[in-house]
Amino acid sequence: MTRYVVNRLAGMVLVLFLVCLFTYMVFFLLSPDPAVQICGKNCTPERIDQIRANLGLDEPFVTQFLNFLRGLFIGREYEGGINCPAPCLGYSFQTSQVVTDMIVQRLPVTAVVAVGAAVLWLLMGVVGGLISAVQEGKFADRFIAGLTLGGMSVPNYVLALALQYVFVVWLQWLPFPQAVPFADDPVQWFLNFILPWSVLAIGYASSYTRLTRANVIDTLDENFVRTARAKGLRPDLVWRRHALRPALTPIVTIAGMDFAGLLGGALITETVFGINGVGKLAADSITKNDQPVIMAVTLLAAFFVVVGNMVVDLLYSAIDPRVRVGVSA
Amino acid sequence: MTLLRARNLVKEFDVAGTAGLVKPARRFTAVDHVSFELHAGQTLALVGGSGSGKSTTARLAARLVDVTSGTVHLDGQDITALQGGDLLEVRRQVQMVFQDPFSSLNPRHTVERIVTAPLRYQKRPVPGGVRTVARSLMERVSLNPDHSDRYPAQFSGGQAQRIGIARALAVGPRVLVCDEAVSALDVSVQAQIINLLRGLQAEEGFGCLFIAHDLAVVRQIATNVAVMTGGQVVESGSRDAVFDSPQHEYTRRLLAAVPRIRPEWEAARLRNAGRVREPQ
Amino acid sequence: MTLLQAKGLTVTFGATNVVDGIDFEVRPGGTLGIVGESGSGKSMTSLAIMGLLPSSATRAGSIDFAGTELTKVTERQMRAIRGDRIAMVFQDPLSSLNPYYTVGTQIAEAYRSHRSGVSRKAARAAAIEAMDRVHIKDAGKRVDDYPHQFSGGMRQRVMIAMALSTEPELIIADEPTTALDVTVQAQILDLLAEVRRDTGAALILITHDLAVVSEVADDLIVMRHGRVVETGTAEQIFSDPQAPYTQALLDAVPRIDDSIGDLRPVPGGPA
Repeated sequence: MTRYVVNRLAGMVLVLFLVCLFTYMVFFLLSPDPAVQICGKNCTPERIDQIRANLGLDEPFVTQFLNFLRGLFIGREYEGGINCPAPCLGYSFQTSQVVTDMIVQRLPVTAVVAVGAAVLWLLMGVVGGLISAVQEGKFADRFIAGLTLGGMSVPNYVLALALQYVFVVWLQWLPFPQAVPFADDPVQWFLNFILPWSVLAIGYASSYTRLTRANVIDTLDENFVRTARAKGLRPDLVWRRHALRPALTPIVTIAGMDFAGLLGGALITETVFGINGVGKLAADSITKNDQPVIMAVTLLAAFFVVVGNMVVDLLYSAIDPRVRVGVSA
Repeated sequence: MTLLRARNLVKEFDVAGTAGLVKPARRFTAVDHVSFELHAGQTLALVGGSGSGKSTTARLAARLVDVTSGTVHLDGQDITALQGGDLLEVRRQVQMVFQDPFSSLNPRHTVERIVTAPLRYQKRPVPGGVRTVARSLMERVSLNPDHSDRYPAQFSGGQAQRIGIARALAVGPRVLVCDEAVSALDVSVQAQIINLLRGLQAEEGFGCLFIAHDLAVVRQIATNVAVMTGGQVVESGSRDAVFDSPQHEYTRRLLAAVPRIRPEWEAARLRNAGRVREPQ
Repeated sequence: MTLLQAKGLTVTFGATNVVDGIDFEVRPGGTLGIVGESGSGKSMTSLAIMGLLPSSATRAGSIDFAGTELTKVTERQMRAIRGDRIAMVFQDPLSSLNPYYTVGTQIAEAYRSHRSGVSRKAARAAAIEAMDRVHIKDAGKRVDDYPHQFSGGMRQRVMIAMALSTEPELIIADEPTTALDVTVQAQILDLLAEVRRDTGAALILITHDLAVVSEVADDLIVMRHGRVVETGTAEQIFSDPQAPYTQALLDAVPRIDDSIGDLRPVPGGPA
């Protein structure tokens, strides 16, 4: 088991390095020259060259990439005495801020959005799926199937705007969103997050409902469930031990992976609801073409996905005895 | 003349999950220096328990899996490493019939399309048109040719296996590899398929590599037998030699384990039915 | 004196009787073989006895088990019988065991659900004892292993250990050796015979394999299309089969000890 973990960790480091390399390469090759943008309208070729030199953009790719890596691990210093301590993800000249700080400031609120949404979609998905499975083919099942179809087909941004219109503007059940620290007004804080959570959760909840339903129905068909019944086990025990555990294990683990990939969803949700999180930071940076920030957010997202994947794999091998390594089949 | 000759076939697989980042995975030897010869008109049965390597051996011989080492000769030609058009020609010469007739037939294709598919893949001329060929193939495996536009699900298990056999025969193979081809069938249907295969072999003279775990079936169809365990052939020879005077300990154990209808009941039944079984 | 007697047992799916008014009986300690090809209704018969038919099936007729009419008891009463007085062994031991639990847990589960007030420790001890009785070596250690760590034959031993842990009066084995290698099959059949001898449990052996049933069963019913075509002792049926179907079936069985000319397919069967 230890060797398995070490192996996986080493693999993860390699993947993260490659992710860094490719992301950096994409931005290096494809994006417009940041020096031109910084330089503005009244620009001379000499000035552009100077900016390039200041930013280190005149260096060859490999040197630039190594500088970036060095910044990541031991920090670096930019021209003009700007200190960027490790992990240095770059410096945004447009906002004159260290990118790491910009992200760290916004990460907590994004975490709140993501965690709340994950809890919500797991609850909705598992409960909905169980109801569907138990009521297979009956009204409740078909009703839920209709809901999930809707939930899966409506795009996030449409849903976000529609919900905001219905619950805030029209019904006025929820207050107009305004940034309130949790300590000042917990109720307002919580109400603010209801819509973002729901919007993020609904798509996932729909697919989790379907997944749960299918898994439970398949598992109930398994021979070992028949064995459990043939033992004379109480129905609740048959369900809990022999149907639910095998059916829900993959769902919990997939949830880990989806959670890691949430940033994309957060991008839209945070923008629509005006939440100042990492998602909104990314959206803003894209419109302004603030490259260091875009790249940093991309890297962060990739980092979460890779780490999430790894956690899921380890979790899975802990839950499912068949995956455990070091035992012969 | 030897039709199919396998020499020192070895197949190793990686053991899943043992591969490190740079360290290669642990290897598992599924087939361990297996050699055999198959002549035209012969049926060589590879028998053994699960995990004995018999199916992998057959797949190696049919070039469905690449060997780790060893050689396969078809008609004296080394086919071990053929690629492209040459491999296609091997595919024509060597056809397979699988265990589960339904999962090996495309449920969305009609019988006509299924049995003539090998001709299309081989880009071969279809004399008299697809319909005629399909009908004649179906007749050869005793299916009603009027059912050529039906789908696999409309047939019983035994009929579906006949379709599988018809498909294999479409390109006139010289070697037929039957991988547990009658194992999933009921006894009554099994008997029909065995008879069918024997009859077809007598007419067409192909060599048959017959993979089976059921020794009683093998006794009915094989001319030669190779007994496998742990990836190796431990005993081989003519059918009656292997069955009547097994030399290897494993073969003896295998044969002793096969359940038998009590001989005294068997004798009484034949007496009561007024017939005595003729020894062949 | 009978342990189990079925009369006019019928299982219906929609408009089809997959089991069509069959009669049979099992003597205490006896072995009844139920033989048939696929679609004969033999497996449905076993599920009908256990009360484990799919919800889309209906059951009619009578099943008397030691004085209890199984078609009349409540689900709760049936649960007390299932796994305690009537235990079952299925065909595919790998899929019949839950991959998420140790074999010890799964054996103990059967035992505990029928013995009130049994501690975890005592149930574990019972599981180890049951594993010992089916000759699983190192039972004290292997009790904590998972099903995938056992070979096919060993898994079937686990299933049998589970069945006998509650000292049932009747064990129903549905194709218990079909998924196993022939050498392992012989061992499992021996084990079933041994269990029967030691515990005095009666056995219903359901199989398509005439040779297997001839080695194990005292009494026999031959089923086809949901009906019983022949009933008798194994000796009667094997040495002097009366029904044409039984005769044809016996003719079709490939024999290992000699090779005949053409096998005789069963007339009128599916092609």
